[in-house]
Amino acid sequence: MRWIGRLSILVFFVIFSLAVNGQNNYTLSGYIKDKATGETLIGAIVTTMDGEKYAATTNTYGFYSLTLPEGTYHFGFSYLGYDHQYFEIKLVKNTQFNVEMTEGMMMQEVVISSNKEDGRNNVEGTQMGTVTLPVENIKKLPAIFGEVDVLKSIQLLPGVLSSGEGSSGFYVRGGGPDQNLVLLDEALVYNSGHMLGFFSVFNADALKNTTLIKGGMPANFGGRLSSVLDIQMKEGNDQKYTVEGGIGLISSRLTVQGPIVRDKSSFILSGRRTYVLDLIQPALKGSNFEGTNYYFYDLNAKWNYTFSDKNRLYFSGYFGNDILKFRQPNRDLGFDLPYGNKTATLRWNHLFNHKMFMNVSAVYNDYKFTFEGYQEKLRFKLFSGVKDWNFKADFENYFSTNHTFRYGVNYTYHTLTPNTASANNGEVEFNTAFKPKYANEAAVYILDDMKFGSRWALNTGLRLSMFQQVGPYTSKLDSTVYGTLSPVKTYTGIEPRMSLNYIVNRNLSLKAGITVTNQYLHLVSNSSSTLPADIWVPSSEKIRPQRGIQYALGIFRNFGQDEYEASVEVYYKDLKNQLDYADNYVDNLSQEVEDAFVSGVGRAYGVEFFLKKSRGKLNGWVGYTLSKSERSFAAIEKGRWYPAVYDRPHDISVVVNYKITPKWDLGAVFIYGSGKLFTPVRGFFFIDQNINLFYGPRNSARLDDYHRLDLSATYTPNPESKRKIFRQLDFLCVQCI
Amino acid sequence: MRRIVMNFLMLTMILFCQSCEEPYIPSTLESQQEYVVEGYIEAGDSQLPPYVILTRSIPYISTIDPEQFANFFVHGAKVKVDDGSKVVQLTELCLNDLPDALKDQVYEVLGFNPDSTTANICVYADILGQIIREEGRTYHLNIHAGDDLITSVTTIPHGVGFNGFEWVDPPGVPRDTLAQLNAYITDPAGVANYYRLFTATGKNRSFVASPFGSVTDDVLAEGETFLIPIQRNQRRGTEFNPETFGLFERGDSAFVKLCTIDKAHFDFWNTRDFAARNSGPFSSYTRITSNINGGLGIWGGYAVRIHRLYCPPK
Repeated sequence: MRWIGRLSILVFFVIFSLAVNGQNNYTLSGYIKDKATGETLIGAIVTTMDGEKYAATTNTYGFYSLTLPEGTYHFGFSYLGYDHQYFEIKLVKNTQFNVEMTEGMMMQEVVISSNKEDGRNNVEGTQMGTVTLPVENIKKLPAIFGEVDVLKSIQLLPGVLSSGEGSSGFYVRGGGPDQNLVLLDEALVYNSGHMLGFFSVFNADALKNTTLIKGGMPANFGGRLSSVLDIQMKEGNDQKYTVEGGIGLISSRLTVQGPIVRDKSSFILSGRRTYVLDLIQPALKGSNFEGTNYYFYDLNAKWNYTFSDKNRLYFSGYFGNDILKFRQPNRDLGFDLPYGNKTATLRWNHLFNHKMFMNVSAVYNDYKFTFEGYQEKLRFKLFSGVKDWNFKADFENYFSTNHTFRYGVNYTYHTLTPNTASANNGEVEFNTAFKPKYANEAAVYILDDMKFGSRWALNTGLRLSMFQQVGPYTSKLDSTVYGTLSPVKTYTGIEPRMSLNYIVNRNLSLKAGITVTNQYLHLVSNSSSTLPADIWVPSSEKIRPQRGIQYALGIFRNFGQDEYEASVEVYYKDLKNQLDYADNYVDNLSQEVEDAFVSGVGRAYGVEFFLKKSRGKLNGWVGYTLSKSERSFAAIEKGRWYPAVYDRPHDISVVVNYKITPKWDLGAVFIYGSGKLFTPVRGFFFIDQNINLFYGPRNSARLDDYHRLDLSATYTPNPESKRKIFRQLDFLCVQCI
Repeated sequence: MRRIVMNFLMLTMILFCQSCEEPYIPSTLESQQEYVVEGYIEAGDSQLPPYVILTRSIPYISTIDPEQFANFFVHGAKVKVDDGSKVVQLTELCLNDLPDALKDQVYEVLGFNPDSTTANICVYADILGQIIREEGRTYHLNIHAGDDLITSVTTIPHGVGFNGFEWVDPPGVPRDTLAQLNAYITDPAGVANYYRLFTATGKNRSFVASPFGSVTDDVLAEGETFLIPIQRNQRRGTEFNPETFGLFERGDSAFVKLCTIDKAHFDFWNTRDFAARNSGPFSSYTRITSNINGGLGIWGGYAVRIHRLYCPPK
């Protein structure tokens, strides 16, 4: 480990020395937007068309910066599904050049990327294990009950597994579901599922872009071991008002967006609500279940204001809840079970100059799970939740075309409420007296992306993280009482990140990477899937942070003028301080979950094959993963290595979109995978005349292999019309075992 | 509790969700049978002699009939209990060898239904009453079955009884013939206490514990006086009526047996009860914690307090 730190320091020293250059160089910078809606475009590409090729891509906020020697250039601007634009610019001074792009007909047949330049990233980019899925393309995949779901779409990528049939929960490269950093406009989403995870909390109508990083996590992200799922909301149309809606079997949705001040300010409001059980309320009236209901809803809202070319403000929020009400009037019995997330993000984009971009964010998020039951005078309440206040600042320096340097700071104040329970019968009151836990989490990072000549590219990063449990708290170990904000336990982490790309030729490159991450918040589920009632637990005097090191190697190859992209990636993950429940765990209200945890180590390794066809009437991808994930816990199986519940050796996904005519699209998704592991019953015995089961070794048996085929047909009556009406027919589970 | 809530939520979801997974049969495992011990020793209000039922486990893939069930009893074992002052060997007693009148009494004590029990149930019991049964004493169990040695140890803690009871009308729709029973208990301070509860009625005198939650600890009520709603437990195999479940019939007798138990004994029932109720589509398995070395099951001490009550007519 020590050599990694030393190497990082050496690399940064070299980078800083190289950063001082650029005589007679000038910078072309600006924002790239959709002309019709004013939405900034993430990942749009700017390239020089003549002579030596220089290229840059827009960041999360649609900003690009390209520094070149003085001269006159033809620049090409491209973005998936949009018409290319070309401009001749005489670069004799630093120049701001904003571009508005027009959506082209090509979009109708695109799955993941549309143009040749996008395909170049497969070979030329330093990132490994990173896939971007624009939401417009996710909408073309078959959707369960008509609900387009970004989380189910990413499960079709190699290395990503569904936590269960129909579930939006996912495992990445042998890691647990809590090891995925799920971000919505930078706000951390602690529970990403509605209806026990059958639907994700992300309303596709309000979303712009989804990026999954399953390996080679850049240093600006941290706090999770396995992956980052970075989702951006739309900003709202700043040109005209639009209304978009859909009526589904389960829910209906409506999105309104429009300008507040044209070209300067816009908003978007998007909501969803289910109503299946609302419809049967008249039938329940007068029955023993009158008043019983279930629904979920969510609301996405975003507002932005462009003060000047250099300053832009965004405010976005998400508010969603699942509500279950159970009533049995004739026994005076009932309960309410609401749970949901609230997030709010305030962001300020500032351009110091053509080469330096800053984003400052203040983020609030709040996840609550509540159960309130009653029978006559008896009242019972169960509550758990997580609340964060997060402040971060990120800086991007575009030193030259070949050199980008980023750095930033991040601070979060966590409040985590464990499973507090209380009950009273009108006279006597009980409660578990479990107090919330408080913590400071902070990180600083530097991240450098640099190309050496035409063949080598190096992406290096270092993240220093700190997690500090603070009071008020009374130690369980020595009964020490800590006051408000007094440090109880502090953990630090040195997290080097590095990926290297060697471009063998125009169509072939070799990449290698190493990623070290620490995770300070933990969630362990005692179920076969994660549930909203599962509890997030902070690192504390009793729980040590999880730590993971991932090594990855990859071969990346393009074919047919970048129409086909292929890759083979091999990875190995070394996981420390993994948490689980012991075999004899009892979900007992009188016990804090952290007291029930046992600690161990893990390892996961595998190889992923990916072939993608990006253009043409027939497009899509094929992914295959061969992998293994294991755990070893002293308190489980006496330390013997056993397969983790996330272990599925074989996983195949085939995604196909075929455009028959301008009006008709066909979609197909085929999944084949190894069955889930389970702990088999060895036999049973009688005690007290009741049958009791006893079990074999943990996860020592596997269900049959699983496969399913989903088909969809989308009819667009008038593709040329601006008023777009889609009719999508989904034939789900045409074949499933 | 969270698991119950989630399982209920799941059932609600099933109204409009269909799964594509087919039912499965778990793969057959090498079925090595284990010894199963169910033994108790009581002190306090109990007249029940110490006894041990010694059986074998049953492979998962097999069918059970009464004959087969009878063959699972382990005969001829040397079962010895050391009460700290002497070692007593228990006597094997098979119910078919007893006179009918005595057999019925034993059935009732053990909680078996004679009408539905055709197997020849065998127990090892201290029929001469040689073992000293008192609270605060520790008891070692040693079983030699063939070449196998099975051992365990349990303690009968100091007993705790209820302070008082109250009969109240059941919640919800008025029902004049039924009542709910509440009991008050004062938990002794400064010591961890664990309890197991049984009930019986005048119509059904054998004590029954709840199969889904028969034990509690005092973590939430250490040293406090608190109220416990007491449910009338049902015998296995009797008809379940959700409208009357847990309620006592007015005009009938009620018996409440409160047992104070040690930690290992509590852990067994706590994990067993959780395993029984934690069965649902999202559940994972729970290994039952046993205090038996060389087998499965429980050797448990009970400090017994029996309360005889009458549920008055309205």
